[in-house]
Amino acid sequence: MFVIDDRQDPARAAIIAPAAGPRRFTRRAALRLIAPYLYLAPAVVLLVVFTYQPLVQAVQLSTVSWNLLPTAPMKAVGTANYSRLLDLPAFWGSLGRTATLILGLLPFTVLLPVLIALASRRVQGRARTFYQALVFAPFLVAPVAAAAVWRWLLHPGSGFVDQVVDSGRNWVYDASTAQAVIVLITGWQLLGFAVLVVWAGLAGISGDYSEAAQVDGATPGQIRRWITLPLLSPTLLFLVLTTVLLSPTLSFPLIDSMTQGGPAQATTNIYYLLWDYAFHSFDAGLSAAAGVLLFVGFGALAAVLVWISEKVAVHDD
Amino acid sequence: MMIDRLRLAGSHVLLAGTALVCVFPIYWLFATALRRPQDVTSLSPLPWPLSIDNYLDAAQKVDVTGLIVNTFVVAILSAAGQLLIALLASYAFAMYTFPLQRLMYLAFVGVWLVPFQVTMLPNYILLNRMGLINTLIGCVLPTLCSALAVLLLRQHMNAFPKELVAAAKIDGRSSWAILWTVVVPNLRPALAALGILLFINAWNEYFWPAVVLRQSNDVLQLGLRSFMGTEGDQWGPMMALASLACLPVLLLYLVLQRHIVNAFVRSGLK
Repeated sequence: MFVIDDRQDPARAAIIAPAAGPRRFTRRAALRLIAPYLYLAPAVVLLVVFTYQPLVQAVQLSTVSWNLLPTAPMKAVGTANYSRLLDLPAFWGSLGRTATLILGLLPFTVLLPVLIALASRRVQGRARTFYQALVFAPFLVAPVAAAAVWRWLLHPGSGFVDQVVDSGRNWVYDASTAQAVIVLITGWQLLGFAVLVVWAGLAGISGDYSEAAQVDGATPGQIRRWITLPLLSPTLLFLVLTTVLLSPTLSFPLIDSMTQGGPAQATTNIYYLLWDYAFHSFDAGLSAAAGVLLFVGFGALAAVLVWISEKVAVHDD
Repeated sequence: MMIDRLRLAGSHVLLAGTALVCVFPIYWLFATALRRPQDVTSLSPLPWPLSIDNYLDAAQKVDVTGLIVNTFVVAILSAAGQLLIALLASYAFAMYTFPLQRLMYLAFVGVWLVPFQVTMLPNYILLNRMGLINTLIGCVLPTLCSALAVLLLRQHMNAFPKELVAAAKIDGRSSWAILWTVVVPNLRPALAALGILLFINAWNEYFWPAVVLRQSNDVLQLGLRSFMGTEGDQWGPMMALASLACLPVLLLYLVLQRHIVNAFVRSGLK
């Protein structure tokens, strides 16, 4: 329409154009300016409501004494929850058990996968795809189902594993072995995933380096130690970080459905302690305080790992 | 030559051994579930004669159909919602430059630093105030924004040929139309892979349902937990219920094995 106007009456068009043009322009421009925010809005709103705002609220809850009942009053207690928490042996014990859990998982998520992947590099093609499929399967098993079947396998007297090793021992409900059982099941779930990640890491290493080294007379052992492993270090650090990040998610359902933190607190790690304080002792302030400390510790640990991966890891440039 | 062949055989033995250790518990889970009740403690490797009595037994003790339906509803709503919301958000990140873009991007990256357990209590209070405790919606709502999905889709969209978008823009199509007629059809494989990954994660999700459905135990994961708690050592029906809790995911895996492995390994962090 405007185009036709232009042709028919340039003078009129000249008058209309400055008036109509900018308005159309501004509306379009305004839409273009806010469009990205509109697309982002649902995600950002959910992020704020269910992640960041609760984080702030957790800090606030950590300074009150409250039993979670909507009708009960919240009493401001300042930093009393923190000092109470730091005085609790259960808190320090749970931190120690969290460290044990993560350290206990590293053989399953780093050491064994590297050994398996390096030793089986020659296996290629269909055979490899087949093994890959089987090894990865435990990663997809629902955690509670994993807990159920392992409890059955380890059941004293009639469980398969227990009958084979013939111990008659109550692995899951014995304070000295319960934590090891949790590590074993979580490790079983993560092992295949880690092997696949290492395989992918190995596939990403250019063969030129080892060929060059071979020409120079390096033995396969030397190549592995001085070329392959350093180039694999980003993958390994990634696996360590994954272990730290996934250990709460994967171990929580096992602990909650098998041991509820017991026996005698043997499987109460910091993640389960938070849960226990909130939903079993109904001590909102204490749980929130532990949560805030966990968040700070988690952030520090992640920062260290990211820093290491940037400083130490060898990159194939 | 001989040594090479021996080494290859050694590799096969190692991998086969690892695979056996990995798969055996899953096999035993199904094997026990399919035995006759009187054979449950048998050690024979083959569950023969087969029987579905354990399943019928489990169905008598808990509302199996209800649990399956609820779990499907939660997993599908959650995965579909995550996919849609992440699609819109990643579209904004990949196709526009705008003020605060970097900050907002960091807000998504920062999520992996916040463990669920830290935000659990405030979220419980919030859902309680909204009256969503012990409802399926309450399980779905807090999970709807998946930072992982946003970051992965953003990568895919950044790699998307911008000429196609520019051409559509010259045709005068709006950004909304471009998203649905140009971007989405071309990203279909990536969206499908991500959707499956999100569905599997949502199906296996334990933490939010455990917080929200504390009384009703209305999804399979929690139904199984409460069964383990109340029915003690009834291994037959327990394995039957456990097998149902992982069957849909394992069936998907059977069909789409390579895609699922790639999706998880590439996404790295769950």
